[in-house]
Amino acid sequence: MRPDDLAIDNCLKCSLCNTVCPVLAADARYPGPKRLGPELERLRREGISTDTEWVEYCLGCHRCDLICPNQVNVSEMIARAKATHRKPLIRGLRDWWFARPCLLGKLTTILPALSNFALAMKPARIFMSKMMQITPQRKFPKYTRPNLRSPAMTKTARQRVVFFPGCFIRYNRPELGRGVINLLERNGFSVEVASSECCGVPALANGDAAVARSMARANVRAMAAQVDSGLRIVTACSSCGHMLKTAFGGILEDDKKFAGAAKKLASNTFDLAELLMEQADAGELNTNFQHTNLRLAYHAPCHQKSQGIGRPWYHLLRMIPGVTVEDMDAGCCGMSGTYGFKQEKYAISMEIGEQLFASIRAAQPQMVATECATCQMQIEHGTGFKAIHPAEIMLRAYEGNRIQINRGTPR
Amino acid sequence: MESDRYDVVVVGEGIAGFTAAAAAAHRKLRVALVATGPGSIVNGLGWLKAQDIPRASSAPDLGEAIAFFCEMARRAGCPYAGDISTAKYLPSLMGDFQSVALAPHLLWNAEPRDGVATVIIGVRGLSGFDENFMAERLSEQTRAMNSSGTYAARQISLARDMGAPVTALRIAQLFDRDADFRKELVCALRIAASGFQRIFVPGMLGVDSSAEQITEFSQELGCPVCEISTLPPSIPGLRVFHRMESYLRQIGVELYRGFPVEKLEIDDGVCTGARVAAPGHAMNLRGDSVVLAAGSHSASLLGEAYAGRDHEMRPLNSTGTVMARNLFIAGTLPNSAGDNGNAVRILTGCRAGNLAASTRKNHAA
Repeated sequence: MRPDDLAIDNCLKCSLCNTVCPVLAADARYPGPKRLGPELERLRREGISTDTEWVEYCLGCHRCDLICPNQVNVSEMIARAKATHRKPLIRGLRDWWFARPCLLGKLTTILPALSNFALAMKPARIFMSKMMQITPQRKFPKYTRPNLRSPAMTKTARQRVVFFPGCFIRYNRPELGRGVINLLERNGFSVEVASSECCGVPALANGDAAVARSMARANVRAMAAQVDSGLRIVTACSSCGHMLKTAFGGILEDDKKFAGAAKKLASNTFDLAELLMEQADAGELNTNFQHTNLRLAYHAPCHQKSQGIGRPWYHLLRMIPGVTVEDMDAGCCGMSGTYGFKQEKYAISMEIGEQLFASIRAAQPQMVATECATCQMQIEHGTGFKAIHPAEIMLRAYEGNRIQINRGTPR
Repeated sequence: MESDRYDVVVVGEGIAGFTAAAAAAHRKLRVALVATGPGSIVNGLGWLKAQDIPRASSAPDLGEAIAFFCEMARRAGCPYAGDISTAKYLPSLMGDFQSVALAPHLLWNAEPRDGVATVIIGVRGLSGFDENFMAERLSEQTRAMNSSGTYAARQISLARDMGAPVTALRIAQLFDRDADFRKELVCALRIAASGFQRIFVPGMLGVDSSAEQITEFSQELGCPVCEISTLPPSIPGLRVFHRMESYLRQIGVELYRGFPVEKLEIDDGVCTGARVAAPGHAMNLRGDSVVLAAGSHSASLLGEAYAGRDHEMRPLNSTGTVMARNLFIAGTLPNSAGDNGNAVRILTGCRAGNLAASTRKNHAA
């Protein structure tokens, strides 16, 4: 994050960022990205204190950055202000944990059954609500013993890649990770699993720039040799992909030792669907799909849109015979990782999601496909429709397994 | 079909880019539209000034292009009214009249009318809209035109917390989302409008609202309503942008939003596509033909050699040679200082889209 960044001079105050901000649309009191970003940034650079609690309400969805005709890094300015914002003690403690999902993952998965039991217990939820300001309205994702390992080399593989699983797949859904590996192997890749840390998105989102930076460094260290030897990094979580591709949100840009390697890592990071689409374009996608009768709604996560790769999953899913897909294109789901778990932000999170919920309800799909784990939670919570990663749908189409269409538990 | 291979790649999401993309997509071609933010339509009123309508001698295909655009706007749910051969006076936010040939339908019926009592209704706390100032200015000018129409100012208050200051954007977003809010608004406006024959309101009747939704609203009001565009981003302009964008999506145009084109790949007189500066690695969108409709700032994409365009919309270098035979320039010219208005944008967008469509191989199949 560069304090001498001149992008601020590109801001013409056209207010287009305000027209796409999901938070502003949900709550009129929110000052909006134009004000919290470039406008207050001018004062912050002069050392004038403009601290406001509202910076915490930025989702980090990057929609403001994408609409800006002049490429002003609006959300990065807000993220920087978030990092210097002082929170009340309890919220600060809570966010300390939220910034460290890998630590949380490591601890809860020592005894996953006990953790899941405790996290679901009513008294525990009341305690968390009162003492940690975590909303009792939501369920925590289940934790599983982390057992995602690099598979044996496949001899017939045309290309070797490194899979960056991220915290959710590592600690909550390792079977999804194995599914991703399976998909890649079926398409001519051999896979090694990165010995990586958290990508750092939760740390940035919770205003902990120092932790984000140390995670970014650890990740660069963990994968630099593989990148140098010509391997590409694959992500299946859109937020991890976003973070790696933006060279960790630019937080290492002034780091002499790591900036170059972070950039190289960024240019060698690909979303799973990007790789599969590349195979499809080369006529090498494994299309041994079983006929799969499924009517899907697709939701593109914000951090998928912010990667600027088009809609590869939307097109890939449509290649499966029997599958129909409708792109919801109804904005942000409002969850934004840990945001929706915060007691004071629960209501606004649900209000933001309402547009998407309404579109899904209108479409009445059998299931929703979306890459982001927390988007899935929000969709299931807000609509009762089951939401899964598109990779799971593709995998079942290869295996010919029927996909369970049980509705989730609506709120 | 390859995912990044298109019949036509259109760069720019203003009126010209939209028109070009629609012209190509209507021929059942595979079209990509790549843009960083909307064109100037969101700053203005989306109307076509009479003075900007090119002469028929210089643009024999203008009528056809405008008809195409109007049909596209109608299908997109943001219909236009008017004709290139007519002109009437429509009021602006500053309370003066401008001579306009075509406009979004909600702006169209705001011309001075003999014997009609118009009420301009403002909203308490709304920034950038002064109904008293407008009423005074419009009355004065109408008198000067010897028209017997009258203008009065009223103000309504909205019951709910709208934030401070109230913005037209906020009102428009609530209008889209909240049926109760629309009811409240109808009630408040109806009271303020009693005794008048026409209502002017600030541009605020929804960012996404369709023509039908607004007609329904107007019917509930029981009095014809016209919008006056407020400061940028203007809601009527934003609405045209939103409606047209979702219409293009609906007819299969693939949208790439958020990252600038850093290079047009031109090789041996042929443009093979556009390189988009996505994070991490660039994205190459390959096209059999390319339309550049990204305005005056896009000059760097053509380099210093660029010196204008020929009658088939292709870029020329300083020696008068065509730079790429499948690249077409629409809208405001790269490197130009002036703004030649929406009519020229539509005309050149339509031409470029059609020319691009006829030089491609079909990748949609």
